[in-house]
Amino acid sequence: MLAHTGLLSWSAQQTDTPVDVRALTDPDVDPLVPGGRELLSFVDATLTSGDQVASRALDATLGAPAVVMAATVIGNFQMMNRVADATGMPVGTGSRRRNAELIEALGLDRYDHLEDTG
Amino acid sequence: MSLDRPELAVRTGLGRAMEDSWQSLGSPGTRWTGSERIRIVAEARAARLATSPGQEDDVMARAAWKVAASPASIRRHWVDALARDGLDPGRYVELVGIVSRAVAIDTVLEALGLEIEPLPQPVAGDPSEDVDQRAGKVKAWVPMVGGASITQALSMVPAENAKLEALHGALYLSFEEMADPKPGKELTRPQMELVAARTSAYNECFY
Repeated sequence: MLAHTGLLSWSAQQTDTPVDVRALTDPDVDPLVPGGRELLSFVDATLTSGDQVASRALDATLGAPAVVMAATVIGNFQMMNRVADATGMPVGTGSRRRNAELIEALGLDRYDHLEDTG
Repeated sequence: MSLDRPELAVRTGLGRAMEDSWQSLGSPGTRWTGSERIRIVAEARAARLATSPGQEDDVMARAAWKVAASPASIRRHWVDALARDGLDPGRYVELVGIVSRAVAIDTVLEALGLEIEPLPQPVAGDPSEDVDQRAGKVKAWVPMVGGASITQALSMVPAENAKLEALHGALYLSFEEMADPKPGKELTRPQMELVAARTSAYNECFY
C-alpha cells in the first residue's frame, strides 16, 4: 500500500490532479480525484459483495472502458499484494523515513507484518 | 470458453494476454507438472470461495490456501516450515506465482460480473527444473537474483517471473510504463493509483 499511495501522490502532483490520500482508509473523506468515490466503491464491491451496483455507477461516471481498466488494476494488485506478502518483500528504511508522515496519517503500520524480515 | 471475450476488447490484446496467462497455468512449469499446477489453481479457488477447509496435511494445498486467502498473515517462520515439510524455495516461489496470477484473472472477471474461466487442461511433460542458480539470500523470505525488489520477487524461477511481468503489463502497466505519470490508458494515473492503493488496503499489504 505504501508504494502505491506514494505513486498516487506523485502522479497527482505531476498531472495537477487534486487528491486527498486520507480517503484510502477513511470512508468519510472525498478522494477528490475525478470519479474517485465511484472508483473506491467499485474496489470495495469487487473485493467484498461482488454486486454490480458500483460497476454501473462507475460506468455512468467514467464510461465502460474505465470500468474494465479499474477491474484489471484491481486484479493486478490482488496478484502483486500476494507476491509481496508471500515473499516477504521488505520496505527499506529510507522509504519508511521518507514516508513517515504518510505511514502515520493513514495508520499503515498496522499492516506491517515484515518485522521478522532479515 | 476463452478469456478473449468481447467485454475485454476495449483494450487491444487484453483478452489474449489473459488467455495466454491462464492457459500457461496448465503447462509444465519449472518445479511442478501441468497437473500439479492446475491442482494449485483449484486449491487457490477453493480457498477464496471457502468451499471446504484447507488440507493441513498436504503442504502444497496448505501453501496455496494461505497465499490465496490470507496473504497478509504469512510470516517468515511459516515459509520456513513449508520448506521443512518438503516445499523447497523453488517450488514455493513457483506456487506463489501460480496462485497470484490465478487470483488476478478470477478477480478481473468477478469485477466485471463475468463467469470465471474453467480450469485449463493439463499439458503433459516434465518440469524444466530451470531455476536461476544466481538466486541467493536477500532481505526477504525467498532467494532472489540481484537483491530484494518487487520486480525480482520470483526471479529464482525465471519462467514464472516472466509470466508475472507479462500479466502485470497487460492488467496495469509494464514496469517501464510505471515511470510515466500520463501513460495514456482508460484511467488517468492518479485514478489507477487510487484503485491500486485501495486494493492494497483491503489486502492489508504494507508494501
